[in-house]
Amino acid sequence: MDTTQLLKGVLDLAVLAVVADEDGYGYDVVRRLRNAGIEEVGDASVYGTLRRLYSSGALTSYVVPSDEGPHRKYYGINAQGRAMLEAQRKDWQEFAGTMARLLGTETVR
Amino acid sequence: MSVLTEDLDVAAYAVAVRRSLVGLSQEQVDDLTDDLEADLADALADERRASHGRGLVEQFGTPEAYADELRAAAGLPTAGRPASRWERLFPDPVEQSQRVGRRMLAWLRRQAWWPSTESFLVALRPVWWVLRAWLVLQVATALVLGPQRMGLRVGELAEWVVLGGLVVASVQWGRGAWFQSRSTRWVPVLTNIVAVVAILPVLATMSSRAAQAEDVYRAWASGAFNGGTQTVYEDRPVDGVVVDGIQVSNLFVYDAQGNPLQDVQVYDDRGRPVRTTFDNGYDQFWFPESTEPWSFVPAADADGRSRWNVYPLRGAPTTQFEHDDDGAPVLQAGVSASTPPWPFAKAPALAGRGVAPLAPADGTVSASGEPSAGSVPTPTGAQPGSTSAPTP
Repeated sequence: MDTTQLLKGVLDLAVLAVVADEDGYGYDVVRRLRNAGIEEVGDASVYGTLRRLYSSGALTSYVVPSDEGPHRKYYGINAQGRAMLEAQRKDWQEFAGTMARLLGTETVR
Repeated sequence: MSVLTEDLDVAAYAVAVRRSLVGLSQEQVDDLTDDLEADLADALADERRASHGRGLVEQFGTPEAYADELRAAAGLPTAGRPASRWERLFPDPVEQSQRVGRRMLAWLRRQAWWPSTESFLVALRPVWWVLRAWLVLQVATALVLGPQRMGLRVGELAEWVVLGGLVVASVQWGRGAWFQSRSTRWVPVLTNIVAVVAILPVLATMSSRAAQAEDVYRAWASGAFNGGTQTVYEDRPVDGVVVDGIQVSNLFVYDAQGNPLQDVQVYDDRGRPVRTTFDNGYDQFWFPESTEPWSFVPAADADGRSRWNVYPLRGAPTTQFEHDDDGAPVLQAGVSASTPPWPFAKAPALAGRGVAPLAPADGTVSASGEPSAGSVPTPTGAQPGSTSAPTP
């Protein structure tokens, strides 16, 4: 099944979860998402989502200077972001439970 | 790929992405693309990435698509940028026509009968791809080599090669494989427009060419090129001299003893000059047993006017003519007009005739044509509409 449509709804949640785990720069977040098994999201979508979450105040950002190579912009989560993450995590679990009942399968709790 | 090439690719890609982020403030663009080069480079270098080793566009899509995805994910509105004054005055014709096309298509799709028609037409799209390549070839041939070279048949190898290349380009564009970037997009769109506009003129030329070919074939089939005759049906009465249904180009006059006469002026019953040709020397004529066509020159009267009713008409092979400053045909220097070959050197002598031609004293002609004083010998000149040629 093409999970792109599914992902669009929960990309925010996925990105928040990744950044909450540990601060990261653009491609770092992408890499961690992929390692977690989310293959089908485009890099540009992740970057755009990071930017939007930052604009809405859910993430902080700071630049880490480096001697070799370019300065990278790191994103970190703040209190507002954590609140958003919790709320969305609850929503997701409720939704997943509903879908599981609808489809007649048990989800892994 | 060397590291340097990769860097250049990444830089070019990033520039294209930024350029595609139209309508955003510089600050917004910077926010979105601050780490773009670094992120792209990291992605390319990541060996555990599933698409590792493939090209930039393959991995990330076109810069335009990347930019659209980026701004969509960032929650910024996509390109509906405020038009600059230049763009309001001179809207991009490609986009305009696309917009008109989309509106028309939307209207059509609301009609009940359209969907089956549309699926049929969609199945015919490859036919159009090939057809437009052929149309472009015809237009190019007409422009470069002249309209005479256009034809249904693709003759020489060079034509086939060019046609093949055009077909490939047309099909590849139709499939969405070539000409996708903004800088080359105008090429196929322009040629498509040229092809559509050229449909009617090219088909008209083809049909008239086919009609010409048919005429030539019919003439050949009836032997007109080899000295035979071809029947041509006309609706209007023909001016000129027609014998046995065949229009003649010259008249050969013999006296009563059968000797050929030169420079005979012929008038009809109303005193009008009898002409066989009406081209004033521009046209060329074939006559039986001629190996090349001739053109005729007029005689001049005392006032200097050209006279075309002086027979036999003199002339020369058309190749010995050239055009003067006014474009009129003149004989080349050193060439003088001569009489075309006579049908026979001597005509049968007449019985009971042979009196030297008299001036028309009282203007009467006896019905039997018996010579009598003051009578005029029966005119041997030609009258329009009927003439009897002397039987050999």
